[in-house]
Amino acid sequence: MTKPVLRGLLFIAFFALCAFVLVPVFVPRPAFIPGFAPPPDMWPKAVSLVGVALGVLVLLLAFREGQPVDEPIKTDGSSAARMGLRFLGVLVAFVLFLVVMPYTGFLVATMLLTLTMVLMTGERGYRIWIALLAFAAPVLLLLFFNSALGTQFPKGALAKLLGF
Amino acid sequence: MIEEILSALVAVATLQNLLIMAAGIWGGVIVGAIPGMTGTMAVTLALPFTFYMDPVPSILLLVALYKGSTYGGSVSAILIKTPGTASAACTALDGYPLAQQGKAGKALNMALYSSVIGDFLSNMSLIFFAVPLAALALHIGPPEFFMLMLFALTTVAGVSGNSLLLGMISAALGLLLATVGEDMYGSFRFAFLPDMQAGLSIAPVLIGLFALPELIKLIVMRAATTEDAATLGAQNITRAEFMGSLRSILKGSVIGSVLGAIPGIGPSSAAFFSYGEAQRSSKNGANFGKGELEGIAASESANNGACGATMIPLLALGVPGDVITGVMLGAFMIQGLTPGPLLFQTNIHEVYMLLIGMLVSSVLLFFAGKITMRMFSKVALIPQSLLTPLVLLLCIFGIYSIASSTFDVAVLLVMGVVGFGMFLLNIPAAPFLIAFILGPMIEENLRRALAISRGDLSVLLSSPITWVFAALIIFVLGLTIRREIQKSKTERRVEQ
Repeated sequence: MTKPVLRGLLFIAFFALCAFVLVPVFVPRPAFIPGFAPPPDMWPKAVSLVGVALGVLVLLLAFREGQPVDEPIKTDGSSAARMGLRFLGVLVAFVLFLVVMPYTGFLVATMLLTLTMVLMTGERGYRIWIALLAFAAPVLLLLFFNSALGTQFPKGALAKLLGF
Repeated sequence: MIEEILSALVAVATLQNLLIMAAGIWGGVIVGAIPGMTGTMAVTLALPFTFYMDPVPSILLLVALYKGSTYGGSVSAILIKTPGTASAACTALDGYPLAQQGKAGKALNMALYSSVIGDFLSNMSLIFFAVPLAALALHIGPPEFFMLMLFALTTVAGVSGNSLLLGMISAALGLLLATVGEDMYGSFRFAFLPDMQAGLSIAPVLIGLFALPELIKLIVMRAATTEDAATLGAQNITRAEFMGSLRSILKGSVIGSVLGAIPGIGPSSAAFFSYGEAQRSSKNGANFGKGELEGIAASESANNGACGATMIPLLALGVPGDVITGVMLGAFMIQGLTPGPLLFQTNIHEVYMLLIGMLVSSVLLFFAGKITMRMFSKVALIPQSLLTPLVLLLCIFGIYSIASSTFDVAVLLVMGVVGFGMFLLNIPAAPFLIAFILGPMIEENLRRALAISRGDLSVLLSSPITWVFAALIIFVLGLTIRREIQKSKTERRVEQ
């Protein structure tokens, strides 16, 4: 399956899901609507249906020859599977960050996330800079936002347990 | 009126405001000079900080960042042939050859002078045209506003990316996301989680969409980005060199001001148009692309010339013309100010302060450019592998600090992944964002228009103004489709 065809199918599937499943279930109509005001589901349904129509157009054009070619994506030459694994790594890191934060607190979670992100870029040089970025920068930012703007960051169950 | 202007001048001329503008310009120049960091990123990253500031200084900070980054984009374009921003792409064509000839300083100076002149003239156009446009806008109602916003959306969808269809799909996605939360009659739409009942905030959506995909791209694709920076070399522009480029500077400033005022066009298109026009009309046209100062002058005067003008539709009509002004619209709203014709009646003092502040920032741009020129070659070489994680860190702290909401941080990360997905599918992000910001206003005006007309859709074409916008929408669609067909034919011919 070519990229333009996949793209068209994805659009149709997404907008159809919105129009025929999500809007009827998750956009409740109030019992009373004043005057001639359109109901709350009118706009999301209209946009979704337009989206389905546009998706069909994208799909039809994908089967026609001579369409503008997508610009090539620059990579380091890795296989698609390897790049997929890297992307999965990013998703896992983001999810873990959100899951871990209530336990470790905001500061430790951001430190771990930053370090993970730097290492995932493949960077192994600049060790002092990496350490400063991952450990000192979050502390400085926390101090700045806390003292200058009064933001209270989540301390986390672990920090509370340790008496912080 | 004179009294109001003088009072606004006094209010702007405080040390605090000047420092804020100087910091914005300087920060914008540095951010714009770093490849991969865009003006949009600079403005969006600064947005959380503005929540704690007064309305006018906060908008001035964002405007200063916008202007600074637009100029800053020329620095890496000239020194390492990597435009810091898309609008500096033309600057690289002549800037880098000049840097290779040991004239990087000359190129940077010409970029600075052209940017400052373009910016100043653009601000003047804002002062002269925003007020009459706002007065005219007072006479238009919901159907006209709906058609106007539809026109803005069509233009943005048409000029962003390679395909009108993908631009429209992107806009539809943005419109759909904007419906999440409570609607105007109190219904909760798509409120899958309790946090979603209030809708999605603008800041995490736009910062996630524009700042985070760069990091994910770097991690997943790991495309090499390093280039060697040129040294500054010969610095000063002679009087003859400046006078030789003055015509292109003035022409570029006018092109930037006109194109910048049209929603959806923005600095990049203005720079390309101006460069092409200068190449066509200049006696040095044959040297363009080989290290011609006039090429830099044409490109830079136009891209900075568009900066002030993009504020015309934003201030007068409440319609953002590009992503950055979209962010500014968000900042206005957060501060309790609603851009549009009424702003000129209810908050005229703030409007004058803003206009005067923008003129002052043109002067500050000159000094910031001069002072920071020496450090440019180092700034442009910061490795992306350190820079993008730092951006993530700033985003997470900034977003959390806005509403102390972990949900907003989650939205930021999710939108980063969505932005990366859009990049993979070649869906332009700009229409998505503009649609997300304009979505509630488009829907509200449509529903009001339909309520007034008792559900009759013909109300959307009931006045001469709606007809004008309908004609403009058809014109833009026709023009874009024609351009795409021509491009497709050219590509086919090249393949054969």
